[in-house]
Amino acid sequence: MRWCLALLLCCFLAAVNALSSSGSRLLVVLDDSTEKSSFSTLWSDLEGRGYDVSFESPKSDKLSLFEHGERAYDHLLVLPPKSKGLGPNLTPKHILDFLNKDGNILLALSGKSATSSAVSSLLLEADVHLSSDRSAVVIDHFNYDTISAAEKHDVLLLQRPGSLRPDIKAFFDGEGVLALPRVAPQTLGGESALVAPILRAPNTAYAYNPKEEIPAAEDIEATGSQLNIVSTMQARNSARFTVLGSVEALEDKWFSASVKTPNGQKTTTVNREFAKQLTAWTFKETGVLKVGEIKHHLVTDGEVALEDLNPKIYRIKNETFFSIEISEYSYDKWVPFELPADDELQLEFTMLSPFHRLALEPTSRTETSTVYSTKFVTPDQHGIFSFRVNYKRPFLTSVEEKHEVTVRHFAHDEYARSWAISAGWVWIAGLWSVIGGFLAFVVVWLYSAPVADKTKKTQ
Amino acid sequence: MHLWQATLPFCLLASAALPAAAASGWGFTDATVAVQPKGAGINGGFKEQFSSSKPLSKAVSFAGADTLRVTLTTQEGSSAKRPHQAFLLLQDAHSGLDISYPFTVKENGKSRVELTQKELPLQFLHLADPVDARVVIGSFGSSEAYDSSVFKLSIDRDPHVPIPTVEPARYGKLPEIHHIFRDAPSNPTIIITLAFVAMVAAALPVLAGLWLLLGANVNHLPTAFKNAPLPHALFLGSLIAFEGIFFLYYTSWNLFQTLPAAAAAGAVAFLSGSRALGEVQGRRFAGLR
Repeated sequence: MRWCLALLLCCFLAAVNALSSSGSRLLVVLDDSTEKSSFSTLWSDLEGRGYDVSFESPKSDKLSLFEHGERAYDHLLVLPPKSKGLGPNLTPKHILDFLNKDGNILLALSGKSATSSAVSSLLLEADVHLSSDRSAVVIDHFNYDTISAAEKHDVLLLQRPGSLRPDIKAFFDGEGVLALPRVAPQTLGGESALVAPILRAPNTAYAYNPKEEIPAAEDIEATGSQLNIVSTMQARNSARFTVLGSVEALEDKWFSASVKTPNGQKTTTVNREFAKQLTAWTFKETGVLKVGEIKHHLVTDGEVALEDLNPKIYRIKNETFFSIEISEYSYDKWVPFELPADDELQLEFTMLSPFHRLALEPTSRTETSTVYSTKFVTPDQHGIFSFRVNYKRPFLTSVEEKHEVTVRHFAHDEYARSWAISAGWVWIAGLWSVIGGFLAFVVVWLYSAPVADKTKKTQ
Repeated sequence: MHLWQATLPFCLLASAALPAAAASGWGFTDATVAVQPKGAGINGGFKEQFSSSKPLSKAVSFAGADTLRVTLTTQEGSSAKRPHQAFLLLQDAHSGLDISYPFTVKENGKSRVELTQKELPLQFLHLADPVDARVVIGSFGSSEAYDSSVFKLSIDRDPHVPIPTVEPARYGKLPEIHHIFRDAPSNPTIIITLAFVAMVAAALPVLAGLWLLLGANVNHLPTAFKNAPLPHALFLGSLIAFEGIFFLYYTSWNLFQTLPAAAAAGAVAFLSGSRALGEVQGRRFAGLR
């Protein structure tokens, strides 16, 4: 009986091990089963990583993202439907509600047919824009597959993207060439910090509607690296919304196709690895941060007693120590979080506005986390302050910690004594000379004999 | 001659592993770049010819109100033809910014693009170094596309005319802030303090000297102690003890330690003081004072 239980527990743990950090229920919305079979490797890869994949047609009546007001699935993968729109159960509002409830979404587009206006308006909510006629395809006459698209040049061959900026972790990098057939390009709004491109088109690329003969100069809306092939929006609740321009890139056919650029070698695509990176990131297997223990206390030599840890009150000009423990989820386990080279984890000591903003340095590592810490002197301003760690970066879930403490004045007995202040010496000398003078006067008054001639005069 | 013509593509093929069909590539001829200042005539301003083999060595200056005009004739192989893509691509090597301006191409390959600074994205106006102007010509099929730098474009603008800065919100590290503490309270120079301390301390000897000059003395001390030794000793002692208590209060005691001690010393001073002062009164009655 006992070993039976142990075995069950082991199985359970193994199943839990290979899961996303935010659940395993994945809903795939696709038109019909013929479509399903052409993505079989993707499904088996996802199931192999522990996802519980269910398939629904957008037309199905049973399809609902919510059950009793709660999410019925943790993740959503939407393939472009053949029909117009995604149906009444997947309106942009439903999908946004799903996102607002921490559900992750991978939305695939296709340049084969025009994208529906429902999808386009959903993307607008995320500040991701499609071309105005929603049927553009990215063409590049320099990086195309000469085997499958010798004439049309609409199968892009691109390197896997590196890091977006030097201070951002690369989650999608690696060797090898990606094949991206018939990409529906997206452009991103410039104002939002929540959107980020994963893969951009090369600078010689452009988009055009294949139904038109030759694009007029004024028809070209965006070119080069303004066109995004894969873009993302990570909402404020860290829910992820990824838009993949080319659904065909996920097909079995392209997972290991042989391709050849106009002046390159024949190679095999790495679409399968990229699909793994993309789905893993979108479904929160990578780039997820977790805050462990947060400690703050006065700087002391040696160990800090438990009652001195995380005090509610500090004094002005106290030397203070702060540390935060951060772990990062990587596919199936928590690992120590390492900062990218140019980045900083910053601590703010804030009352309305930050008085200090300091870089936290990694000081120690455990098996699953890194401890970042710093020391600083509390400002000479009393009030209600807070220790804030507000770490928001593209591709990483946000870390927002706020711990309030009081900073008080000096108590009456904490100021320097008057003899330590050299300007006070005059006052101290005056005081003691008065005391000395008083004692001398008392002695003289008590014991002085009258001077002889003076007494005579008065008498 | 024929042999040479045949070997050239072959060499290209071998070196770049081009498909044989891609031997004919896109290119252009009759290319000129002109910068026409505002108000200048058709032929006013800068005008220069360039070709794909001979890019301009000097950067083309493109100032505030100028119009940049690039004209060329696109060719496939050596025959003029209209391509699907004919772009003037501006690229900043440093930041990786790029933007393309499509040529208006006629059926016979004659292409032309006009550009003013208003059409440039703001980011380009902030660049200090000249940007790379490239011509990109490509089309469907097997003909090799053309992409090469043809001149450097120096985007000059009047430094007195402000342009809006572009700083879109992006998550990243913020500048460090270190709180600037108020200055510590300052003391005057120690010499000045010591001079005043000396002046204050000097008051006591000056007082003593003056009293002595006026004839102050302690001649009655033996008499007083003979008449009432205990009250005088206790009274003087209690006064000194008072000062001692004040000293301890100043340095280390708190009020609850000070008050009982002061009360005790006070009681002693009251009791012994009335006796001691009685003795002083006795001396006055005796005519000694």
